[in-house]
Amino acid sequence: MLDPTVHRSLAAVLPAASLLTAPEDTKPYECDGLTLYRERPAAVVLPDTEAQVVDVLKLCHLARVPVVARGAGTSLSGGALPNAQGVVLSLAKFRRILSIDPLARTAVVQPGVRNLAISEAAAAFGLYYAPDPSSQIACSIGGNVAENAGGVHCLKYGLTVHNVRKLRAVLIDGEIVELGGDALDSAGYDLLALITGSEGLLAVITEITVKLLPKPQCARVALAAFDDLEKAGAAVGAVIAAGIIPAGLEMMDQPATRAVEDFVHADYPLDAAAVLLVESDGVNEEVAAEMDEIKRVLTESGATSIRVSKDEAQRLLFWSGRKAAFPAVGRISPDYYCIDGTIPRRALPRVLSAIEAWSVEYGLRCANVFHAGDGNLHPLILFDANVEGESAKAVAFGDRILGLCIEVGGTVTGEHGVGVEKLKTMCEQFGTEELAAFLRIKGAFDPQGLLNPGKAVPTLARCAEFGRMRVHAGELRHPDIPRF
Amino acid sequence: MTTATANPASGRRDVSGVVDALLTRYGARAVTTRAIREQHSHGEGLADPALPDVVVYPRDNDEVAAIVRLCHAARVPVIAFGVGTSLEAHVAALEGGVTIDFAEMNRVLEVNVEDLDCRVQAGVTREQLNAELKGTGLFFPIDPGANATIGGMAATRASGTNAVRYGTMRENVMGLTVVTADGTPIHTGGRARKSSAGYDLTRLIVGSEGTLGIITEIQLRLYGLPESITAAVCQFPDLGSAVRTVIAAMQMSIPVARIELLDDVQMDACIRYSKLEGYEAKPTLFFEFHGTTAGTAEQAELMQQIASEHGGSAFAWTSAQEERNKLWKARHQAYYAALALKPGHQAFATDACVPISKLADCVLETRADVEREGMTAPIVGHVGDGNFHLVLLFDPKDPADRERAEGIARRCSARAIAMGGTCTGEHGIGVHKLDALVEEHGDAVKVMRAIKHALDPTNILNPGKTVPMHD
Repeated sequence: MLDPTVHRSLAAVLPAASLLTAPEDTKPYECDGLTLYRERPAAVVLPDTEAQVVDVLKLCHLARVPVVARGAGTSLSGGALPNAQGVVLSLAKFRRILSIDPLARTAVVQPGVRNLAISEAAAAFGLYYAPDPSSQIACSIGGNVAENAGGVHCLKYGLTVHNVRKLRAVLIDGEIVELGGDALDSAGYDLLALITGSEGLLAVITEITVKLLPKPQCARVALAAFDDLEKAGAAVGAVIAAGIIPAGLEMMDQPATRAVEDFVHADYPLDAAAVLLVESDGVNEEVAAEMDEIKRVLTESGATSIRVSKDEAQRLLFWSGRKAAFPAVGRISPDYYCIDGTIPRRALPRVLSAIEAWSVEYGLRCANVFHAGDGNLHPLILFDANVEGESAKAVAFGDRILGLCIEVGGTVTGEHGVGVEKLKTMCEQFGTEELAAFLRIKGAFDPQGLLNPGKAVPTLARCAEFGRMRVHAGELRHPDIPRF
Repeated sequence: MTTATANPASGRRDVSGVVDALLTRYGARAVTTRAIREQHSHGEGLADPALPDVVVYPRDNDEVAAIVRLCHAARVPVIAFGVGTSLEAHVAALEGGVTIDFAEMNRVLEVNVEDLDCRVQAGVTREQLNAELKGTGLFFPIDPGANATIGGMAATRASGTNAVRYGTMRENVMGLTVVTADGTPIHTGGRARKSSAGYDLTRLIVGSEGTLGIITEIQLRLYGLPESITAAVCQFPDLGSAVRTVIAAMQMSIPVARIELLDDVQMDACIRYSKLEGYEAKPTLFFEFHGTTAGTAEQAELMQQIASEHGGSAFAWTSAQEERNKLWKARHQAYYAALALKPGHQAFATDACVPISKLADCVLETRADVEREGMTAPIVGHVGDGNFHLVLLFDPKDPADRERAEGIARRCSARAIAMGGTCTGEHGIGVHKLDALVEEHGDAVKVMRAIKHALDPTNILNPGKTVPMHD
């Protein structure tokens, strides 16, 4: 329930249609892409203008009402999960592309603009926006910035943080700040990077200047089959170690390719234990030379077959399987749990064989799709929530995978963010000192903890409750492993 | 935004207790002689010395942490020092205190060939790192000119001649070990290629110029040595043509590894100082192409076409390493070559960075300003990313001359900011550009200040630099 005074003051600054409090109106906002967690917000506001965002934040700040910013609600970690006492601040109406400057190769967009819409608008100038999360048809650029989203092409072109030039954001007290700049560099502390990936805990983003890239003259993708998962994992390392930075380097195991073939018919070899997709882009001569080198490395790494896309249609066909992997798995299992860990590439074979063994141990199928070039795993654990105990087993299985990611020097989230889902594992990945530094930064922006409370950075007390607090380094299970 | 109320600098205690404790604990590795303190009192920019009370040479993270804890308890300033090549007085001990020199923390800790990364101590210099990488087929590309330490480069977010292709330290530091203001070592980032766990402390600390934490170790990205490297030199009738060539090349996305601009004054200086033969004192572009043999040939051909359309000369070519090294050595010596133009003068280097489309306007207006003031100030720049430098030569005995130089630098910052750029592309804020930072970022400076308060509440980390603590 929203406090009546707060309700009145919100109603005073917003058009009637932009303030929702009736349960039937707020229900669609009760969860995001992580449907395991649901919470009905006290109110949903849908401002049209930055001035309204400022007003809403000022009011909430004054009344100490929690605020959760929301884009398209595609977060896989619960980043947009509402707070029962709080307001969901939807940026859905901020969906204008304000300008595209083909000379500077930038676009100024509002946060509610869909990721793919930017590339579509820029196509007229032969340009595109590089980061391409699989949800790019639906997800909003504001959410991409908040989560520092990646995608299949970020191996070569970087994450969101590498592709954003400037942000306008509103602080919890209603102050507007501009971060970054139009030039390639910007003076002072790198606040742009600090806000990027901060999961809505530091500020509400209202305008974004993104970097655009010229569409490469030519792009081709190799589809390589392997009869052994570990060999495919080792091939990933071999490609990179050969000095090649492919535009995309993705891997899928057999459960994943089979699910995908049934769904989109991407022409994947079904007898293969794993397939790799390796893309090269650039000018024609370079792509040709790089593709030869890629084929050589893949063959030496034991690929049983390699097909290189002959034209754009075939390239898109090969990619369609990877991009449709999540929905395809959704068709073959009532529920799945997507894990998002990142590991140093050379640990790939070890982690893959552990996942295989645990899949047998828990009796749960696991389809693996991942941004292999980045070492970013997305094991999809298949389960049926209606079968007693399967949810718990899936979570236990996932926790073990993430534990191993940390153990080999990786991180519990490559691109989906911490949200509510990984608060617990944050206590394992980071020591008390690091968490304390995070909390000090949060305190500098939002001392009352009103912006997206309970997400991303666990309080030290929370970690203690979980029983996972690392009191000091001496108690680490593997003190010799570098952590962060 | 919250701001601290108390003056954090107040309540500073007598430094002598700290000096005594360091002398006792570190013996010969804590030095108080005037000569050594003098050597640590300034970088390579303006020689306005500010001496620390003591210089300490720790050997590991624990020693750094112990030194910072001591300073924290006594509220004594602590300043990190690499090799002192910074240009904005970052290392000057404005309020005295303890300077930590990383000379004895200069080990490459690990090189992971397969993962294309390495971990180094803060005192490793970039040339040392590349020497140690020999034989692995890998290299570390960031090259700010000076043979700076990796710690210093991370602290100032250095970029350099290669940034157009490989990015700056922002893109190439994967993780850090940092000693916080209260003397706690923390680890940020890591070996994973990407992470969205927690706030991006790595990028926050990179470029914070020693004011948020003391960097002791750095995890770096490495790159495979390109199959082919070729370099070319092209001379132009005027500065505008040279700059417009760069803009056109960037518009066409030719993946040039380096494009360096030297104006006629700088070229003249380099020809004399580095004994370059076969070139005229004209505006000049140095190019370097990295890639496959076919790829670099194609890039170079396109580049030559664009240059010719803008009145550039035929390329003078070299793929021989020795010849190439000579060229880049001349470029790296540009600062010293400029100094040699006017014996007895001092140099005041400044830099700015603008969107590439504004580069010609910014460079030409700056040049006109220099001429109006009758100063000697060569222009060089990593122009591929819109970054250029001005080396203002002034007579240290003539305060009016220095004031003229500073005026040109201030106007250069203001011009770049007005064009949507920044007052510094790579040298950093230090002490000279605090006002320009406010001009550039407005209210965001309050956020920076709040972060400084949050991470260093007693303001002991490199005080007086990077972020103005009062309006």
